[in-house]
Amino acid sequence: MFKPMMIEDVYTAYGKADVLSGVTMEVWPGRITCLLGSNGSGKSTLIRSILGLTPPHSGSIVFDGLELAGLPPHGIVARGIACIPEGRRIFAKMTVEENLRMGAYLERSDAKVRANMERIYETFPRLRERRLQLAGTMSGGEQAMVSIGRGLMSSPRLLIIDEPSLGLSPALVNDNFRIIRQICESGTAVFLVEQNVRQTLAISHCGYVLAQGRVVASGTAEELRNDPEVRQAYFG
Amino acid sequence: MDFGLLTQFAINGLMLGMMYALVAVGFTLFFGVLDVIVFSHGDVVMVGGFAGLTTFYWLDAIYPGLSHGLMLLWVALASMASMALLGIVMARTMILRLRSAPPLNTLLATMMLGTVLREAVRLFYPNGSNPKPFPALLPDWSLDMGHLSLRLDNLILFSLGALLIVSIHLLITRTRLGMAIRAVAQDAETARIMGVNFNAIVFLTFALGSAAAAFAGIMNGLYYNEINFGMGLLLGAIGFSAAVIGGLGNIYGAILGGFAFAFLQTLGAVALPFASAYKDVFAFGVVILIMAWRPTGFIAEKTSERV
Repeated sequence: MFKPMMIEDVYTAYGKADVLSGVTMEVWPGRITCLLGSNGSGKSTLIRSILGLTPPHSGSIVFDGLELAGLPPHGIVARGIACIPEGRRIFAKMTVEENLRMGAYLERSDAKVRANMERIYETFPRLRERRLQLAGTMSGGEQAMVSIGRGLMSSPRLLIIDEPSLGLSPALVNDNFRIIRQICESGTAVFLVEQNVRQTLAISHCGYVLAQGRVVASGTAEELRNDPEVRQAYFG
Repeated sequence: MDFGLLTQFAINGLMLGMMYALVAVGFTLFFGVLDVIVFSHGDVVMVGGFAGLTTFYWLDAIYPGLSHGLMLLWVALASMASMALLGIVMARTMILRLRSAPPLNTLLATMMLGTVLREAVRLFYPNGSNPKPFPALLPDWSLDMGHLSLRLDNLILFSLGALLIVSIHLLITRTRLGMAIRAVAQDAETARIMGVNFNAIVFLTFALGSAAAAFAGIMNGLYYNEINFGMGLLLGAIGFSAAVIGGLGNIYGAILGGFAFAFLQTLGAVALPFASAYKDVFAFGVVILIMAWRPTGFIAEKTSERV
């Protein structure tokens, strides 16, 4: 088993204004760690910082004993991190199979790519049926499967999932959460960003609440559920 | 009009179409990947022609007895390699640096770069302001039937051009790197999240497009038997128009657009035999009409939603 991801005192800015002001958290393998917070609290920026799309200007992000801050995104992804981005962001003009291949872009062994694809097709038989269809012509639920499958293609050790239930029907949201739990049980560290607080806390082991670029609450899912501030902010 | 003459026009049109398609592919690749119009692209075609000519002079001086076939091979390889390098340098020093600037700045900068390339050849190439004869490196065998002359050199040139375009197309549709190019073109940020090295893909794209331009330059020299420092202006305008009427960002569109433009020119020459000098005016005029009728080009690229 590998070490957790340690985010320590990260500051990230767009221009001159800090969006993250000293964020510290840990994400453990085999656990679902959730990140809660309202719009504009800095959740997306934190993800961009981890992935190197908007690198932090100070602080450190250590994954598996290696510093990520300062690496380009492709260097960070190569360490075993994958992301299922918000809004699915599938490649609409590529086939389902090409989308999956993009998920394993850094994997040079075609045998491994094929084995992983086979695994994804077993989880989502629907994708196998449609593997030569252009992803952009599929329904929203199927596109969500493509996006999740693509995120799993590299067999990541840390999977970042950004707002997976956005725009999906309740039945599909349930499916998604079930799959996220399976991913985690296979030993992957899952970092889950969600607006759907009730369901998220139900499947998470622990979590953090972000507000105005700072961690304002943290603990196990149970502790967060009973935290008076979280209750007031999310459960009314 | 007699059948032989018409066929002759058709063949000439196909030759021009291939040349234009090679230039248009560059415009469409650059736009697809970076959303930029690189106005210096026509001048890269011209510099490619001069690079080929220079390679010929050198080789001729060092190995005077070299066969024409080998000579052409080296001329083409040297010109394409040096333009690929020029493309990478352009991308690295200019286009990528201007990414955060307004798109108009990139447009202006590439226009100025075009002028710099053009003037550099005019001023620094020996006797650069005059047209340069381009050596006939292909066999001059031909089959003459009345007005129709089937020339072997044209057939070879056309086949080489087609081979190059098909190779680029296969690279983009069938290989891992090509998949990365398409991914960056569709959604650069998501491609980066998948582990694509964005800068490397931009360099690859500029190398590919500029190498195709270099081949168009050599093709131009072999077809017209001369090159000159100003030829990139018209070729650039034609290549850009071809890419736009085909549908910017789509590689089939660029090829289609290239041949469509050559067809229009040829049609202009056939329909206005008394004023065939106006064939470009006719062709560009029709391009304007096509753009009014179909603003997104034959193959619309940007219609699909960008999530």
